[in-house]
Amino acid sequence: MNDLFDAEEKALADARRLREHLEEVADPELRRGVGALVKAFERSLREQRRLVRFSDRLQGQLANLNQELQRRRQEAEDALARLEETQETLVQQEKLASLGALVAGVAHEINTPVGIALSCASHLADATERLKDDFASGSLSRSEFSRYLATAEDTSGLILANCDRAAQLIRSFKQVATDRTSSERRQFDLRDYVEEVLFSLAPRLRQLGHQVSIDCPSGLTMDSYPGALAQVLTNLVMNSILHAYDEGQTGQFSITVTQPDADSLRLVFADDGKGIPTEHLPRIFDPFFTTRRGNGGSGLGLHIVYNLVTGPLGGSLGVDSAPGKGSSFTLLLPRVVRERENDTVEAEQEA
Amino acid sequence: MTQERLTIAGTERSPEVDFDFASGRFSMRGESYPEDAAAFFGPIFDALRRYLQAPAPDGITLDIEFIYFNSSSAKALMNILEMLEKSAADGTRVEINWHYADDDDTMKEFGEDFSEDLEHVTFNLVSVDG
Repeated sequence: MNDLFDAEEKALADARRLREHLEEVADPELRRGVGALVKAFERSLREQRRLVRFSDRLQGQLANLNQELQRRRQEAEDALARLEETQETLVQQEKLASLGALVAGVAHEINTPVGIALSCASHLADATERLKDDFASGSLSRSEFSRYLATAEDTSGLILANCDRAAQLIRSFKQVATDRTSSERRQFDLRDYVEEVLFSLAPRLRQLGHQVSIDCPSGLTMDSYPGALAQVLTNLVMNSILHAYDEGQTGQFSITVTQPDADSLRLVFADDGKGIPTEHLPRIFDPFFTTRRGNGGSGLGLHIVYNLVTGPLGGSLGVDSAPGKGSSFTLLLPRVVRERENDTVEAEQEA
Repeated sequence: MTQERLTIAGTERSPEVDFDFASGRFSMRGESYPEDAAAFFGPIFDALRRYLQAPAPDGITLDIEFIYFNSSSAKALMNILEMLEKSAADGTRVEINWHYADDDDTMKEFGEDFSEDLEHVTFNLVSVDG
């Protein structure tokens, strides 16, 4: 039989034999002494065997626990990866949704001039038809002809002005929409651009009775990612609309741009709404943090703002708010965004 | 020197100890993997050794309920059991209750192993709802 304690058992057997020999020769005290030693040795060997068993069992338990831990860690990592994937999808959906809102705004805005032009054109067509009939039957009077001329002048003027207006709207929306869907970097005049973006939000703001004032030096050129900036401004405005006011309450928004130095600019977006509760402040840029879950809030709006400002736009942002005192978001942006690894920029813009 | 009671509060890695010498009810519960097992168990050995010079007439009941222990603690426990076994051999009534969660086979086997060398001590394996 294989026994890890063979040597010890053999030594013990020798000791027992020694004790037997001593039965005949040694004095009683020596015999007792050796007998006690053998007993102690036996006991010690039993304990050793037991301790090795204990130790093996304990280590076995530990190994099992380790495996279990490893398994759970893997599970947690998988869950995290899935969560991140879902988050990315949701961020993408949120961007598409805001693009959808932009398109709806465009449609609404262009509807008015196109509608006016259409009814003017139809009025002119009717008048022309009547004129043609009267002319053919020879009953066209001088005064009728002069009335027609006045109508033609009025309507064509209105058609011209409204088509002009529609074309102008389409031009500005086109730029915003192109920027929004592309990740292109280009030079742009900041004030013109902020006005264009706010223009695309005008229908929604007007409907709710909110006012926006823009205070930005003219001729301030940025070399950056306008699509990201448009998204940031849109999300900030939408955030205030959703959260800062009770129903029926109207607000004052302001966008103020200053230049702390030649290379950077500070853009402050502020509302005069109810403010953000102090306990929410540290979390407002966290993904999925929302006080409006199930009520239209995705919890991604400000998270996207944070990602775009600190990512493609290469800046930083902070928030200042107190209950009843409105909220202001301060963005510090480089005027000329630093060239970064191309793929990184692409990836963050896509995300 | 007479001693009434030895109590040590449990920590994350050392058991709660309550030796009520007057009544003879002793207990040790919790985890046991102290940084220095000799330092932790030394005072317990000393107190027990003193007490066993003149144990209570009604004898001793020791309840042990460990969740986890290391090898040093196992050796310390063997020393305690050996002291009690000697005292029982001299006529003291000693009863040990080894508590283990009913789904914890390993802890049950540990109890069986600990009882191996005990002849005069009554050793009970007590399963507890896990």
